[in-house]
Amino acid sequence: MDRGKVSVAEPYLPPAQPAPSSEFALARLGAYWQALGVTDPDQIAALSEQALRRAAESPESPPGLDSVARALVAAGELLDDWLARALELPRPSRELAAARAALLSGAAPDWPAALFAAPGQADTVLDTLRAARAEPTPPPSSGAMPAQRIELFGLLGPLRRLWRPEPRA
Amino acid sequence: MTQTVQPPIMGHTLRRVVFFLLVLLTTLVAMGLMVSVFQTDGLSPMELILLLLYAILFSWICISFWTACMGFLVILTGRDRWAISRQPGPAPDPTAPPPRTAILMPIYNEDSERVFAGLRAIHQSLADTGQLADFDFFVLSDTRDPDVWVEEELRWQDMVRALDGKGRIFYRNRPENTSRKSGNLEDFCTRWGGHYRYMIVLDADSIMKGETLVEMVRIMERQPRVALLQTPPTPINRESLFARILQFAGSLYGRMFTAGLNYWQLGESNYWGHNAIIRIQPFLDHCGLPKLPGREPFGGDILSHDFVEAALLRRAGWEVWLAYDLEGSYEEIPPTLIDYAKRDRRWCQGNLQHLRLALSHGFNALSRLHFSMGVMSYAASPLWLLFLIATGVAAYFQTQHEPVYFFGENWAPVWPVSFAVEMTTVLLVTLTMLFLPKGLALLLLLKDDRLRRAYGGMLKATLSVALETLFSVLTAPVLMLFQTKFVLAILMRRAVGWPPQQRGDHMTSFREAAQTHGVQTLIGVVAGVLSYQYVPAFFWWFIPVLLGLVLAIPVSMLSSSIALGRQARELGLFLTPEETEQPVVLRYLEENLEEDEPVLPILREKPASRFVQALTDPYVNALHLSLLPEREPPGKRRRHYLEGLVHQLEEEGPDSLSAAQKRDLISDPDLLLRLHALFWSRPPANAGMLP
Repeated sequence: MDRGKVSVAEPYLPPAQPAPSSEFALARLGAYWQALGVTDPDQIAALSEQALRRAAESPESPPGLDSVARALVAAGELLDDWLARALELPRPSRELAAARAALLSGAAPDWPAALFAAPGQADTVLDTLRAARAEPTPPPSSGAMPAQRIELFGLLGPLRRLWRPEPRA
Repeated sequence: MTQTVQPPIMGHTLRRVVFFLLVLLTTLVAMGLMVSVFQTDGLSPMELILLLLYAILFSWICISFWTACMGFLVILTGRDRWAISRQPGPAPDPTAPPPRTAILMPIYNEDSERVFAGLRAIHQSLADTGQLADFDFFVLSDTRDPDVWVEEELRWQDMVRALDGKGRIFYRNRPENTSRKSGNLEDFCTRWGGHYRYMIVLDADSIMKGETLVEMVRIMERQPRVALLQTPPTPINRESLFARILQFAGSLYGRMFTAGLNYWQLGESNYWGHNAIIRIQPFLDHCGLPKLPGREPFGGDILSHDFVEAALLRRAGWEVWLAYDLEGSYEEIPPTLIDYAKRDRRWCQGNLQHLRLALSHGFNALSRLHFSMGVMSYAASPLWLLFLIATGVAAYFQTQHEPVYFFGENWAPVWPVSFAVEMTTVLLVTLTMLFLPKGLALLLLLKDDRLRRAYGGMLKATLSVALETLFSVLTAPVLMLFQTKFVLAILMRRAVGWPPQQRGDHMTSFREAAQTHGVQTLIGVVAGVLSYQYVPAFFWWFIPVLLGLVLAIPVSMLSSSIALGRQARELGLFLTPEETEQPVVLRYLEENLEEDEPVLPILREKPASRFVQALTDPYVNALHLSLLPEREPPGKRRRHYLEGLVHQLEEEGPDSLSAAQKRDLISDPDLLLRLHALFWSRPPANAGMLP
């Protein structure tokens, strides 16, 4: 890379604000929820509040992030909580990650309503998510592939064989 | 799972005896003619070298010639009782469940759109047979490029959605591409191979008809001693003149050569790396490849693994067959002369490695011959070059030799003996053996009306063969110099420095042609001037070689032309049956490429970087995360390295990172989530869809 061309004054990502305002945090969370498919402003507000509260409960996790980024991580965790509970999936797990991918794929566009629905009233959405969850590979099967012995030609090879004959099978 | 050794079958032995006797006798006759020319006053060292080179090269041509002749006879008579597809076997148990077969497509930084369009076409064709349920599909990615990696994941998910392929169409990307393609397949075999009886290995540009796939499984079921069945892939789908000429040659001559190969190889045939079905258990038991001792090029990973795997299966008593009469197996070929040479560069090193294996302990005779043929397919070029140089030097020395007409007390002059007849015979025999197979392939068209029409009729096919012959004469010296350069570079352990191969049709620019063929042209000019100056008689014989070199730049450029390729097609030249009447599976491929309407909306966007999309787009991020393999948390040093990359990305943007660094960033699940949050908390102006 030609570092001479890199502008130090304008980093690629804007620098983190030392103390971001709650309006800024709510705006970012709102934009994020919308990108996930939540359109109802009340639902966005409720989910954003929950994410902010959750982020505030563990201020050092994940490390190296400011409060807004932590709130965004918490937003994802809220989804994972719900998916793990509703689909009875272990967490963390690949199945849970696949369920989140299925949720965000557009396979069940009315998932936000299901998120706020009473238990038992979101079965259709959950069935859709189960069906849409990706299965990248089948379960493992046992199999070994031992490296074969290839005795390369060498001038001393025949002599060695004479000296140390292979045991008969 | 080793097979018991079966006694040799008389018919098989007889075929091989006939074939090798013909090769031996023809070589001996040609050598006899050469010796009669040289031996007038004893053999000089130069003549001895020439004789040795000629013996090697002529026997190589002989194998090819007699293979073609046998193939000609087999197709002409239509009788081949030993063809694996026609051999009866025990009837399958109707109560037993049908065998499960995995269709594997190993890929490495390929064009994802083409890969998945091809796989879909195969899936569609298989669905047409009604046997889809017996097959699973695996995309085995060794891709390192992060953008291609993310694109593959999206395309896979799109294919699963579109074809309702959950639990049947699988994808995985290997964290480390240990041992390249053979390691990729080994990873499949050890992790999931136990679910399947067979695997059908494809290449990124392979296409196979559903019926062919089903038939391959049927044959394997009928023949429990067969571990591997190779189908001959027919080259298809390219439009440049170069590729169309090669497609025509591969199609017309290829069927005769493969029939001929099967004539003498029978159950000791070879594996060409793709478009083949393999019985998984024996492959697991016997095809684990060791690393060869020593440094590259002859040590380290076995590169051309296919030949070795076939030899290992044979060593364990399993049969390996070429199902030459199975149609519906296709592959795409490089579109230009330069791309063709690039592919040769990749294959050359692996084939030269076989030099060590040909002499290894334990392989059977035909496996050794396969290894030797692999070596010769590249070593022949430097040997031909040496032969030409030695001939030129010998001719020069002959011009320096003053003829003496009077010896001792002889009063009458003793005229020098002329061997023009013998030399012309040697030359004619060599040329006949090189070019006669083309004529034989043409003759076969007379037998089959349908096929004759498919090649554009007898007249057009004959004209195409004549032009193809001219083209191959012009390009042969160029390929000879390319391959000689590769062989020498590999022997001297030097990288030749080729850019990555482009698979799609594209024109060769003057700049590219001049850069690649400039030295070859210069060699042609210098050799021409020298031979004209010092050995004028030799110069005229040398013209076909010189012309090929001197015209390398225009030939390379013109032959890469798609317009010329299309024009030739409109004129009915170089037609192949697949062009005349497109098979359904190829139509599916074409439709899939043309009507690229993905189910996933995200695929309709063409972002500048899928890598950035994996960090910013919640769905792409989640999908990628769900496909990452479980791994140990990184160590302290690794964490520091990754932290450094995060800071570099924050400050200098994704363009400042190498492909490997980007891959490292999106390979770590925690980092992936963290970067996703980082991008959403501080959206950069140019990161695409972030509001």
